[in-house]
Amino acid sequence: MDFSLKEETILLKNNAARYLKEKCSSSFIRNILRDEKGFSPIIWKEMAEMGWLGLIHDEQYGGIGGSFFDLVILFEEMGKVLLPSPFFCSAILSGLVIKEAGDANLKAEYLPFIIRGEKILTMGLLDERGRYDHEQPSLEAKESSDGSYAVEGTRILVPYANVADEILVCANVRGVKAEGATLLKIHGKADGQKKIPLDTLTGEKTFAVAYKSVQVPAQSVIGAIGQGATYLSRIIPPVTILKCGEMLGGLERVVEMTVEYVKQRQQFGKPLGSFQAIQHYCVDMATYLETTKLITYQAASLLSEGIPCHKEIAMAKAWCSDAYKKSTWIAQQIHGGIGFTEEHDLHLFYKHAKASELAFGDSWFHRTKVAEEMGL
Amino acid sequence: MKFTFTREQNEFRQEVRDFLRAELEAGTFSVHCGGLIEGSSQEFSRKMAKRGWIGLTWPKEHGGQGRTYVEKAILMEELMRVQAPIGYHFLADRQVGPAIIHFGSQWQKEHFLPRIVRADDGMRFCLLFSEPNAGSDLVAVSTTAVKDGDDFVIKGQKVWTSGGHLADYGWLLARTNMDSSIPRHLSCSEFIIAIKSPGITIRPIINMAGKHSFNEVFLDDVRVSKRFLVGQENAGFKQIMAQVDYERAGFERLMQNYPLFERLKSYVRQIGKIGFGDEFYSWIKDSIAQLEIEFNVGRLLCYYTAWTIDQGRQPTSEAALCKAYCTQYEQRLNDAATRVLGPSSQIRGETKWTAFGGDLAESYLWAPSYNLQGGTVEILKNIVALRKLGLPRS
Repeated sequence: MDFSLKEETILLKNNAARYLKEKCSSSFIRNILRDEKGFSPIIWKEMAEMGWLGLIHDEQYGGIGGSFFDLVILFEEMGKVLLPSPFFCSAILSGLVIKEAGDANLKAEYLPFIIRGEKILTMGLLDERGRYDHEQPSLEAKESSDGSYAVEGTRILVPYANVADEILVCANVRGVKAEGATLLKIHGKADGQKKIPLDTLTGEKTFAVAYKSVQVPAQSVIGAIGQGATYLSRIIPPVTILKCGEMLGGLERVVEMTVEYVKQRQQFGKPLGSFQAIQHYCVDMATYLETTKLITYQAASLLSEGIPCHKEIAMAKAWCSDAYKKSTWIAQQIHGGIGFTEEHDLHLFYKHAKASELAFGDSWFHRTKVAEEMGL
Repeated sequence: MKFTFTREQNEFRQEVRDFLRAELEAGTFSVHCGGLIEGSSQEFSRKMAKRGWIGLTWPKEHGGQGRTYVEKAILMEELMRVQAPIGYHFLADRQVGPAIIHFGSQWQKEHFLPRIVRADDGMRFCLLFSEPNAGSDLVAVSTTAVKDGDDFVIKGQKVWTSGGHLADYGWLLARTNMDSSIPRHLSCSEFIIAIKSPGITIRPIINMAGKHSFNEVFLDDVRVSKRFLVGQENAGFKQIMAQVDYERAGFERLMQNYPLFERLKSYVRQIGKIGFGDEFYSWIKDSIAQLEIEFNVGRLLCYYTAWTIDQGRQPTSEAALCKAYCTQYEQRLNDAATRVLGPSSQIRGETKWTAFGGDLAESYLWAPSYNLQGGTVEILKNIVALRKLGLPRS
């Protein structure tokens, strides 16, 4: 057991923290959320130049071949400022899908561009009820005589569908020779694809995408037909821990802003932080923070070392989902009316905590995974 | 960061497990909650002593092994897993020894440390801190120790003295400066007093579980030689503040009722979905998964606290945060287990319907003490608020 960070990690963390603090003021973030694209092209370019997008990708494609743990730390820093960007959907989700399932040609065709930020990819994992349905996709892809597919169905909550060069999906392929849950890439400007902007809690750019007989060529298939769920089952767990890293960052900022607030705010002739009820609330938040840190870093560390850790991943997401959310509830109580305004930053984290809880399975879902791992 | 153990640490853990398995097979003790206090055995402590497992973290020059707190945590985790009967040496090992090492005189070090480490006769300790008017507000102690020649004469009363009726020595906090203009936290001292001293009367207090585990202790003009004053006169509180972190920081705060968890999991697997019915089983799985997650989180906190000590840092807020979290887990474990077992969880004694050999009912009755002893959850939160978050005093 060793809870110290490596020198390289500290360096990365400090540099990222400095960069993000300087560039991502609250008003800057809010402007991004109001902007049509939903991300800052300047920051996007700079992140690519700093090697962030390719941190865990192979050097042969322009990546750094760095450690997964370091990537979690990076997501933690991005989580502190709540930077909206296609990093997660493009470099991580889509990038890892291609890395896992794609052949050499596909990797060469996309990874270098993804890593340089020159192409943006995204994934549509959710059905119309908002379920992760890749085991039994409701999206259909029927093969035609010429080998192309006709895609039919809808995906919701597809991040950055408006700017994506390709949208990756897992569709139920009904082919001539083979069938089953299959990964497909669909061109961002494919005919018959309708993108409906969705206004959600966080305000991040996300869309419902409806496919009505959208023709995609045979080469749209990524990996083997019928293996889509298998590929995804390999990348969703590490991706979930990156989400936990981001949640950890958000939680740190919530605790920090709340403790700062109660030191300054005066009521009844004293700082709010001198009242025991407030102190205990703050300690509860600090406890959520310390425990979230440990359980997240545990999964991150084991993943980084290639040690099987399905249970630890499930424990982390289960814990983070509740800890972050509950901390924002406490923070709302402590801040009083001002925390309920749009002007104050707390709502950004309150919303982020809920969205993150619901992403990739909430605490109940992951408890079922823990129970499974325990043989119950 | 590393969340795995080194080969040496794993070997150590296995060594402890092998020892405990052998003892269990030989019938030296049996696994049941509360074994830590109720099943204490000097013989068992001696076996641990022979292996160097008492004073594991003490410096070698004081008879210890000079090993790390992480290793101590490994040892404690394994001992607590089976509730090994370590009550004889437990307090001496955990805090009396370290306090003597830090603050004790040469004579005290020579007299007590080797005997504690060997689990010699007459080395069982109890703590004489709390009083009827001084619980969380320890500074309000009114037991006095008045200098009289080469002695101090002690007069007062202590309460909640766990194991006082079994102890050989008590670790006492008493007022030595009666000047009311001096702040109270600068007017107390620590002493070691022989429980058999004339003037000491012990009266049992029966707890909610019907057990005699703690006591009232009356001190009526008890004479103690000044050689038993520990550290500086009137520096008692400063010394205690350094000691309590060690008292708070361990697996004994997370695993006092751990056998319940193991038994619960076995029971659930044995009865299965068919025995419970789909809906109840669904709730049970969810509850157990939550307990498993909470236990693992607590475990990480315990190792993190131990590691902090190994880095040479005073783990004040880490230990407080850890303990507050851990004891609350113990209480939730009890509660969940009773709900899985249902009405039969309340049956005590040895009947064929008693759940988990009576441990479940007993543990539920001991549960309020988990969040109170050694620093209540509320006091611990105050400490974290002040020390970690830098909030102003309320």
